[in-house]
Amino acid sequence: MDVDSDVQMDDAVDQRDATSQAVTENNENGMNAGDGDAVMTSTDSSLSQQEDTSTEVGKPIQQAPISTTDPTTKINTLDGWIDQLKQCKPLSESSVKELCDMAMEVLKDEENVQPVHVPVTICGDIHGQFHDLMELFKIGGPCPDTNYLFMGDYVDRGYYSVETVSFLVAMKVRYPKRITILRGNHESRQITQVYGFYDECFRKYGSANVWKMFTDLFDYLPITALVDNSIFCLHGGLSPMIETIDQVRELNRFQEVPHEGPMCDLLWSDPDDRGGWGISPRGAGFTFGQDISEQFNHTNGLSLTARAHQLVMEGYSWSHPDLVVTIFSAPNYCYRCGNQAAIMEVDENHNRDFLQYDPSIRPGEPTVTRKTPDYFL
Amino acid sequence: MDTQQTNDRTADAGSTASASDTSTVNISANGRNVGSYTSVTDYNSSSGSVPAANTAVAAGSMPEGGEQTGEVDANGTEGQTEGQVEELYPIALLMDELRHDDVAARVQAMKRLDTIAIALGPERTRKELIPFLEDVIPEDEDEVIAIAAEELGKFVSLVGGPEYAPQLVPVLEKISACEEPIVREKAVASLNLISKSLSDEQIQQTFLPLIQRLAKERWFSLHIAAAGLFESVLIRVPSDIRTELLKLYFDLIQDDSPMVRKASATELPKLIDLLAANFHTPDTVNEFHWDIITSMYENIVNDNQDSVKFLAVDVLISILSFLQLLGDRTHHPELFDSLLALINDPSWRVRYMVADRFDKLAENFDDDSYTLKLVPNLLSLMKDNEAEVRKAISKELSSFCKLVNKADRSIMINDIVPVISQLSMDEAESVRSALAGEITGLAPIFGKDATIKYLLPIFVDMLKDEFSEVRLNIISKLQVVNDVIGIQLLSESLLPAITSLSNDKLWRVRLAIIQQIPLLAEQLGVAFFNEALGQLCMDWLWDPVYSIREAAIMNLQKLTKFFGEDWCKKELIKRILEKKQSKDFDNFICRITCLLALDKLIPVLSPKVISEDIYPFIDELKSDQVPNIRFNVAKSLASIAETLYPEYKTIVTDKIVPTLEAFENDDDVDVRFYTKQSIEKVNKHLQDTKQ
Repeated sequence: MDVDSDVQMDDAVDQRDATSQAVTENNENGMNAGDGDAVMTSTDSSLSQQEDTSTEVGKPIQQAPISTTDPTTKINTLDGWIDQLKQCKPLSESSVKELCDMAMEVLKDEENVQPVHVPVTICGDIHGQFHDLMELFKIGGPCPDTNYLFMGDYVDRGYYSVETVSFLVAMKVRYPKRITILRGNHESRQITQVYGFYDECFRKYGSANVWKMFTDLFDYLPITALVDNSIFCLHGGLSPMIETIDQVRELNRFQEVPHEGPMCDLLWSDPDDRGGWGISPRGAGFTFGQDISEQFNHTNGLSLTARAHQLVMEGYSWSHPDLVVTIFSAPNYCYRCGNQAAIMEVDENHNRDFLQYDPSIRPGEPTVTRKTPDYFL
Repeated sequence: MDTQQTNDRTADAGSTASASDTSTVNISANGRNVGSYTSVTDYNSSSGSVPAANTAVAAGSMPEGGEQTGEVDANGTEGQTEGQVEELYPIALLMDELRHDDVAARVQAMKRLDTIAIALGPERTRKELIPFLEDVIPEDEDEVIAIAAEELGKFVSLVGGPEYAPQLVPVLEKISACEEPIVREKAVASLNLISKSLSDEQIQQTFLPLIQRLAKERWFSLHIAAAGLFESVLIRVPSDIRTELLKLYFDLIQDDSPMVRKASATELPKLIDLLAANFHTPDTVNEFHWDIITSMYENIVNDNQDSVKFLAVDVLISILSFLQLLGDRTHHPELFDSLLALINDPSWRVRYMVADRFDKLAENFDDDSYTLKLVPNLLSLMKDNEAEVRKAISKELSSFCKLVNKADRSIMINDIVPVISQLSMDEAESVRSALAGEITGLAPIFGKDATIKYLLPIFVDMLKDEFSEVRLNIISKLQVVNDVIGIQLLSESLLPAITSLSNDKLWRVRLAIIQQIPLLAEQLGVAFFNEALGQLCMDWLWDPVYSIREAAIMNLQKLTKFFGEDWCKKELIKRILEKKQSKDFDNFICRITCLLALDKLIPVLSPKVISEDIYPFIDELKSDQVPNIRFNVAKSLASIAETLYPEYKTIVTDKIVPTLEAFENDDDVDVRFYTKQSIEKVNKHLQDTKQ
């Protein structure tokens, strides 16, 4: 069961109109993990009907009513939230609102290609597996002592998307220079309505307000990062419409993830064994071959492109040897895939070290034994 | 919002109400979305009944949002005054929520059922809310009913105290007819809760007929509900009725539906325990009802469904403990025979149940001769074909061995030990893991010599197990073994295993080993420690996993406490400082580990060593290119200053303070933040010491 870890753009599109009414029915779709071979047939038609929909965008750089309270109070509040979140207890709705407002202030000034310094530890998908995120910090070291770069997909699938994304955003606001969080294809209004985050917010807060706050915030997340002008980091992959990193800098990223075009591709594409550009089975983005990666890294003077987006059993995988690496940081993805997770440490001399790890141990959880369900009676 | 549907519901509820004579007032709210603000409350009648009140209430600043409709039946209580209507509207709002189209909203509203009841007051709760619920609930979603069932259990005081509590029974009875087990269980639990506040007469008047009704219905779900209610009634009725009740229970035990047999067999131990607990207390239980209980047991033991049969084990335990209370041993032989039948049952689930409760069974037979008779059965369970059974019996080993040890020690060593060692090589990882968690507990029972001779080899083998959980389970419980045989022996025999585990692939195994080190160090003494473990303790500092490095650092701190400053200087500080010359020092992780290690040593060292060895090293890192290092230097400098001042005053005032002041202009915001904290700390310390 290797295969793509991920979602079909189509699922989300089909659900788009229905979601506002009947979101609760979508749970079923959410657990189609691993069925990456469910190939979408009508790519073109569905993509074309999507054009009009990318209008529901967050207004870039809007005037957020940021509190002008004194910095010490702000830091104390944040530290309080972080402590609470570390115990996997979600924040109150009003705190989330405050947090998101603060985060917008921080993120609006970040660049589409956010520069990041070494040493840094680069991580892939988390997908609401909060306890495994805590395990990640046990392996890599706590922030702020260690610098982190997360490449998106904090929400959906796992049971603790709210806690996970709240924690990472709180850390970002508290230590903006120590942690960088990029946008993944799941940091989107449409996808989260199908794959769990919307339902989780609704379940935990009794309304969709928190979901709205976070998805509005997601429009502000940077879409790529450049580590010391040498490692290009992003969630998905390359785009046929992007030849240079400068072209990424010119995009307007403050919007819902579009259904096509360069910004969509950066969050949706996958590397492939076949050369050249190919149609992605996901229904969004493209597949790109080794020749494309070589050209891109060469043109931009990169030593490496690091990305996440796909389940890899060892936690990391050289998709194109020495050109593109995939990093996936959700161990036992969806609580059943049996994969290891990994993170990549890059030190100040650009030495890379991969650390693999297994799911966290959660004391007090009952061990599963064999039981015959009642319905056999 | 689907108004149509809600209207249908209202109509349904209305017709049900008029059909039944009992219900007097029927409040329901029309489910137009009220957006949580209501300004107009409109009472009118429906289905042709007489209008009772029609009042508009203007509610100050609230914007107009929607309307609600209350139906009042013609037979209703006296017309409501305007005042009542006014205070009713927030309730009507909540009631409206109970009608909401969205299940989640209804769930939320149902959770606040007690608020509604408090606002209504006891009388209207009885006359309006309860009948309303009775009409609406059975048609709702299971999720909503479950919450209603739970809430109603707390309603006794809300309907006006115990005397009115029986009025809660009909609605809960309706709910308990639900096929969904969770809902049914909640309803039964609530009924049982309510029964506690009732008098014995009330029990006989309401609960007894209830049970009889439920048990005689022709629907399995009701039988299950009935089985759950016996516990409230059994000991609160006169002896003759109790006999009747037990006969009724016997019928449930023999029910056609296996679901009912299962439920009643599950409840039976609780009932027996109840009888036992109340035996001979004045006017309660004076008879054991041996015949009927033993027939029930026989029925369960011989059930053709293994999922019923395995419940016999718990029944047997309860019977045995009752007999123990009576001092009656005459039935033990026949009961023991039935236990043997269960142990040798062809179904593994039955054997599993016996294995899982093995210790309790043995305890309740409470006789050495039975304990010894059980030993062969223990051995056969340990060799069972089914891994789950072997796993379960492994967990019972130490408590059962305690009993065997009391009866005959030689059997333990001659018969049980060989099978244990067989189990330690079991093919199933889960079995070995369970055994590993339990086997160390045998050491105190075996005593020093036997542990060394028989158990230690098994420990050593299990420490080499390929499955990490097995190793972890042994290591994490070594303390117990240590108490029995002493650290010297333990370390000699286990040291090779420990050394090889110090590089275990699984970081949690390495962590468990590190956590044992201070204990070993304390017992082994400096010389032996340096030779055997010194290098290991340093190596852990350079582990790729942060948590191991962190634990290694804490370990060094503890070791310094035992072995003293000179040792620390020679064995630890020197080796850490040597790192500076190595190529590893180019790596950020190596530098920050050195920094954090030295920082953690500050509290356990004297100012002299700190000023001579620690401070210069940390000071050099102040110009590190990585901000993370610099702000950790800032943090450390505060602790150093606190230790050095006033003895080494000049270092603090002439070196540390200027360094910190320079940090205040650092490019990095976090360096500035931690510097600010450190400066505050240092200043406070300087002031405190002056005074």
